[in-house]
Amino acid sequence: MSDHIQMELLAASVLLLVVVLDLVRRRKLTEEYSFLWIFSALALLVVSMRQDMLLTAARWLGVADPPAVLLVVLVATVFTASLSLSVIVSRQRQQIERLIEETAILSAELRDVRAAHATK
Amino acid sequence: MRRILCVIPAHNEGANLAAVVDEVRSRRSDLDILIVDDGSTDRTMAIVPLLGVRWLQLSDRLGIGSAMRAGLRYALRQGYDTVVRVDGDGQHRADDVDALLTPVFASHADVAIGTRYHVDGATRKPRVISALASLLSARTGRHVTDPTSGFYALGPRAIRILAEHHPTGYPEPELRLFLRRNALNVVEVGVRPRARLMGQSSLTAARLVAAAARVLLALVIVPLRRPEKETARV
Repeated sequence: MSDHIQMELLAASVLLLVVVLDLVRRRKLTEEYSFLWIFSALALLVVSMRQDMLLTAARWLGVADPPAVLLVVLVATVFTASLSLSVIVSRQRQQIERLIEETAILSAELRDVRAAHATK
Repeated sequence: MRRILCVIPAHNEGANLAAVVDEVRSRRSDLDILIVDDGSTDRTMAIVPLLGVRWLQLSDRLGIGSAMRAGLRYALRQGYDTVVRVDGDGQHRADDVDALLTPVFASHADVAIGTRYHVDGATRKPRVISALASLLSARTGRHVTDPTSGFYALGPRAIRILAEHHPTGYPEPELRLFLRRNALNVVEVGVRPRARLMGQSSLTAARLVAAAARVLLALVIVPLRRPEKETARV
């Protein structure tokens, strides 16, 4: 891997880290969902600084071109991220359903209470 | 003395609800009636408060499973021990409610489900329904004749579990798998089929494809899930 690519990768991972941390700082991203991205940025940072890890991984996986390993890692990261987003969306859907059901029940109970109060 | 709540889930059934409520009342005046409006956009909610029944209004359309969950939780909080579901489109006859309640009262069933196909050959069963019935029978180890029936009565234990976990989407076939997985005792009771009174079914071709996909997934997944715990949360 050329020094040029290495520098670009380093810059990209630092940028990602800064953007994520800034989003957390401005409360645009909650802490619990930020770790996935912080870990990804740190992993990228390590790989960009330790070329030998990439070479070892490439040899181990039988990949001729070490930068291709980088691509695989990136795709895997994006996959994990979107899968966990689906899980998060599903959980929120369940929470929203529950909330709508509960508000319907509460307003029915409130109606009953008001009716009982009015007839007193 | 058992307290029975008749839950009527409805989405855009403004044209039918008055007739459905009248029919239930004339047949079973001892039943309290709860209409659960599932985000209707027609005049349903203009009519419901005039019917003299209890009602819940879901602010968005969540599907019949969610409407039932809300109705069942309401039933629990208000101290009902038996619930019978009658659809808002009028396809379920109030005349058949007695038959559904009998096995639940006799306590040998947690759930009694109406089947339109109890007499062989009396009503022609569409091929898709037959196939689905076979799949469900095989997967549950119980004889399922009407896999898409949403006409059912529930006893106390079924109410407690389904108030939290009634399946959603196109829930009737999945309900059979869920009941079996949670060891709830189900009996099928013969009911006479009837078409909806007025208007269109909300099932479209696209919805049917989505429903089929969900049912197939449920056939694989639901028996693999852990049984749900009965929660005390009401």
